[in-house]
Amino acid sequence: MASVIGAAARSTRPRISALHGLVAGAALLLALWPLVFGNKFLLALATLVALYAIGAASLHLIIRTGHVSFAHAGFMGVAGYVAVLSQMRLGLPFAAALPLGCLAAATVALAIGPLILRVTGKYFVLVTFLFGEILRLVFTEWTAVTGGSNGIFDVPPPAPVFATPLGFYYLALGAAVLCVGIVARILGSEIGRTIDALREAERLAECSGVPVIRWKVAVFVVACALAGVQGVLQAHYLRLIDPTTFSIVESLNLVVMNVIGGMQRLAGALIGALFLTALPELLRGYVEMQRVFFGIILIIVMAALPGGIIEIGARLRALGKAR
Amino acid sequence: MALLEVADLGVRYGPIIGTDGISFALDDGEILALVGSNGAGKSSTLKAILGMAPYPAGAISFAGAALRGCKPSEIVRHGIGYAPEGRRVFSAMSVSENLRVGGFARSAHDNAARIRRLYDYFPRLAERAGQRAGSLSGGEQQMLAIARALMPRPRLLLLDEPSLGLAPIIVERIGEILREIQVAEGLAVILAEQNANWALSLAGRAVILELGKVAATGAAADLLRRPEIRRAYLGA
Repeated sequence: MASVIGAAARSTRPRISALHGLVAGAALLLALWPLVFGNKFLLALATLVALYAIGAASLHLIIRTGHVSFAHAGFMGVAGYVAVLSQMRLGLPFAAALPLGCLAAATVALAIGPLILRVTGKYFVLVTFLFGEILRLVFTEWTAVTGGSNGIFDVPPPAPVFATPLGFYYLALGAAVLCVGIVARILGSEIGRTIDALREAERLAECSGVPVIRWKVAVFVVACALAGVQGVLQAHYLRLIDPTTFSIVESLNLVVMNVIGGMQRLAGALIGALFLTALPELLRGYVEMQRVFFGIILIIVMAALPGGIIEIGARLRALGKAR
Repeated sequence: MALLEVADLGVRYGPIIGTDGISFALDDGEILALVGSNGAGKSSTLKAILGMAPYPAGAISFAGAALRGCKPSEIVRHGIGYAPEGRRVFSAMSVSENLRVGGFARSAHDNAARIRRLYDYFPRLAERAGQRAGSLSGGEQQMLAIARALMPRPRLLLLDEPSLGLAPIIVERIGEILREIQVAEGLAVILAEQNANWALSLAGRAVILELGKVAATGAAADLLRRPEIRRAYLGA
């Protein structure tokens, strides 16, 4: 499987122009989406996909270092609560509250990162699972500040222009393009090669001169700050912030997006975000059977494409070559 | 002052003894062979120098600075390169990407110039520049591991069993290249080897290890002539 993915990575590299064309086409489609599909449901769906693309792509950055974090939604929550509270209690403008929220998530990541990034594999999963649960408990139990299980209502729109669904869609889309762009830029640079090296062989990277822990912490901090963007925007979109939106289930969702899309490529995370956000919504028509269908589809995809949906591309190319 | 000084080194892995009081010194531009059978303490010594093996006893200093407590990446930045046993490369990455990881923390411009220089030493790697490291032959992977360790222009290179599992002609070629680099860059090398014949032919001096202790030390040419050493290590 690894060799299939490796081959795919190699064969796409020289065709950068084709990739750029694809990205430009997708951007155009997303920009024109509300004009083409005037329908409110599809607009809301596209907004959610844009928001989840931020979380999935930022988690992808951590996954590329070889760590699967189950605390990602917790970090979103830290950013969300800090931003909402600083706006509603301290009267800060949205433009200041958003970076402040992300900074808070980054600070928590910086405090906890050097401790937890020393463990790998299933132990990292366990530790982050617990940490995510601790964060959720803080959101739930610190009633005086967070409003407890009820959360905080009537979160104001970021600005009057973003108060409409259409305005908010473009805000979410812009944020997603920016955040995904940052992740893509990091992975495409020399830092990306360092990340690949320390995922493949941590000790070898260390004795090749890479300060492994420092780099893993740096990547973790950046990824958690980016996840914060989703946390903040989501609170404004729902006009509500409460602990359920930052629970383990949400973290698991982001992990599944990466797994089902394909963990080796950033595009996999985006495909996963699209798939996992759109599919349950599109199955809404069959309310009682929704979860059953969803589960069956997940199982089929994972059984047929262990490398994720992105593997379809590699398979098609291999087929084309075989002819 | 010697470039590297190892004094009374005692490596321990829990209750297991890695080395038991090894001492030696190395000057700039010198090739030192560290010879001995399996478990003699060769790898443990190299790992201790690089900060990867704990040594409750003894001291290691490099260019006048004590290395105890430094992380491997810091020691690499101090000027010690390391090619671990088993020709370890980042197999999913290309040859040139492997080299750029070795040149971590240096500018892209520096790295490009350094890679061109290393391709002069290792023309086989130049031919394979864009190829996945995992698809290289054993000899090429060993060359890549050495070249990666040489990326930050170290003053001292630690090689752990570079000849292991390679065809004799490739081993000879690697020896020639090492000599060429030693002359051109004033590089010092510690060569930990079971292939004593080859190591002693390449080195100026040698330290022979046995069960974690120094069994003999001296000029490689002299050691090659000593009958008890020929019997024990050279199969003669």
